[in-house]
Amino acid sequence: MTTLHFTEEQRDCLQELVNVAMGQASDKLARYLETMVHLQVPAIKLVDTQQLPEHFANRYQQQSVSLISLGFFGDQGLRGETIMLYQLANVGVLAKLLGYSDDDSSEAEMLTDISSVLTTTFLNGLAEQLDNSFSYAAPRILSSRDEHFADKLAATAQQWQLALQVDIRYQLTDYSFHCDMILLIPGEAVLRLRQMLDQILADF
Amino acid sequence: MPLEGLLQPLLSQLNSGVVLLDAELKLVFINQFIARRADLQQDDVKGKSLFDVFSDLPQAWLQRKLQGVLSLQVPAFSSWEQRQYIFKLPHLRPLSSDSAYMAQNCSMFPLTAPDTGERYICILVEDATDAYVYQQQLQQSVTRLQLANRTDGLTGVFNRSYWQQQLGYEIQRAERYQHPLSLLLFDLDKFKQLNDHYGHLGGDAVLIEVSRLVAALLRDTDLLGRYGGEEFGIILPETDLTGAMQVAQRLCSAVAAHNITFEQQQLTATISVGVTCFTSGLGSDQLIQQADEALYSAKRHGRNQAVAWRDSQSAYLKKVK
Repeated sequence: MTTLHFTEEQRDCLQELVNVAMGQASDKLARYLETMVHLQVPAIKLVDTQQLPEHFANRYQQQSVSLISLGFFGDQGLRGETIMLYQLANVGVLAKLLGYSDDDSSEAEMLTDISSVLTTTFLNGLAEQLDNSFSYAAPRILSSRDEHFADKLAATAQQWQLALQVDIRYQLTDYSFHCDMILLIPGEAVLRLRQMLDQILADF
Repeated sequence: MPLEGLLQPLLSQLNSGVVLLDAELKLVFINQFIARRADLQQDDVKGKSLFDVFSDLPQAWLQRKLQGVLSLQVPAFSSWEQRQYIFKLPHLRPLSSDSAYMAQNCSMFPLTAPDTGERYICILVEDATDAYVYQQQLQQSVTRLQLANRTDGLTGVFNRSYWQQQLGYEIQRAERYQHPLSLLLFDLDKFKQLNDHYGHLGGDAVLIEVSRLVAALLRDTDLLGRYGGEEFGIILPETDLTGAMQVAQRLCSAVAAHNITFEQQQLTATISVGVTCFTSGLGSDQLIQQADEALYSAKRHGRNQAVAWRDSQSAYLKKVK
């Protein structure tokens, strides 16, 4: 496991790239959604995938949570999966956010739509920072109402060696809403990512 | 470069639909997959608005998505699981599917022309009808299993466990909304003799025929279940004791008047019915107990009749307590 650890420098560099990507995403989303969107500077954390389910089970306690997964592939072996976690109490806000009227889309469709908008906008920015570009798989719902999301998260996280936890909070003019994003990256892609970060650091 | 010349035939042979749009959502290109299924000619649609050519599209929703693709320069997706299709197209499995239209997974992604820098959108349409059909078959199997799980194998009425569960729910409902609720228990008279005389197959034929007859006389909301052997229960929601007695008497006469044919022989059967109605605070076991006492009383008074439960019938039980 230690081989996957990041040095302080690498970590700071990644945080900086995430910040820039997030800033760009925030700007694009605000224009697209035609409302003020403040994406707060996200705190990123590299965590052991084993700890993820417990962490999020604690955070969401008894609330209904939906998990949406979206896979991405880049050049040079960079690949991974993002998981978005939503509190289902926020679904009404999502509908407004997307400009959907209540009846023309199912809850599942709104969740997959917003997930793909949020994650791909951010990931495109991140890919750009890394001099890369990503292609994406269609979003999938891993769990929805009445399913124990921590179990699903555990099953998904197990396949990955490293998780980059990015807390995103969206603040909108009329309502506030937040969701969490987790970036899961397999071991060999972590090595590639470290090489890319070293390259960027060397160029400075 | 030979690749250039190969791209057109490749797009024609592709077993997925390709729809290319410009930034005004006007059609630039549709491949053969789409053209043949939508019965369109490439040259006829070029330059026309997507929504004019495909008038069945979910316009508001799709427009919003495509705008997102253009302004954010990110892909968008649509899965058959959430929306069966975007383009109303026929599929190639007309016999094995009860859906007339192709189930689709669609990806919409941004494209930029390398020479001019102009923005385009490609909609890729994949046929997911197989997955859709399997999902439906699975759903049907689950529904059949659920049905089998609550049905009595011989008579086709509800089995005891399901029936008793429903009785519990009906009692809760009656309690909560202060609505009347009645319970009937009936038993075939001298069933043992019938079995001895005609054999078990004869007995089975009578059970099947009587269940069928009784079920036909009930309302849709009444619940008929086989309680055990030759004993059946009927839950009558929204029915008071007077109404329940009328139902019980009607069932008695109908069964007695009915001729059952078994191996070219005519036979008749009669039933005895115990009737009771729910009063606040009673549980399902107590209600069944009351109906059973009334049924016993009907048997004792000469069978082929309905008897309503009265407190006095069980007065001796209370004395014991």
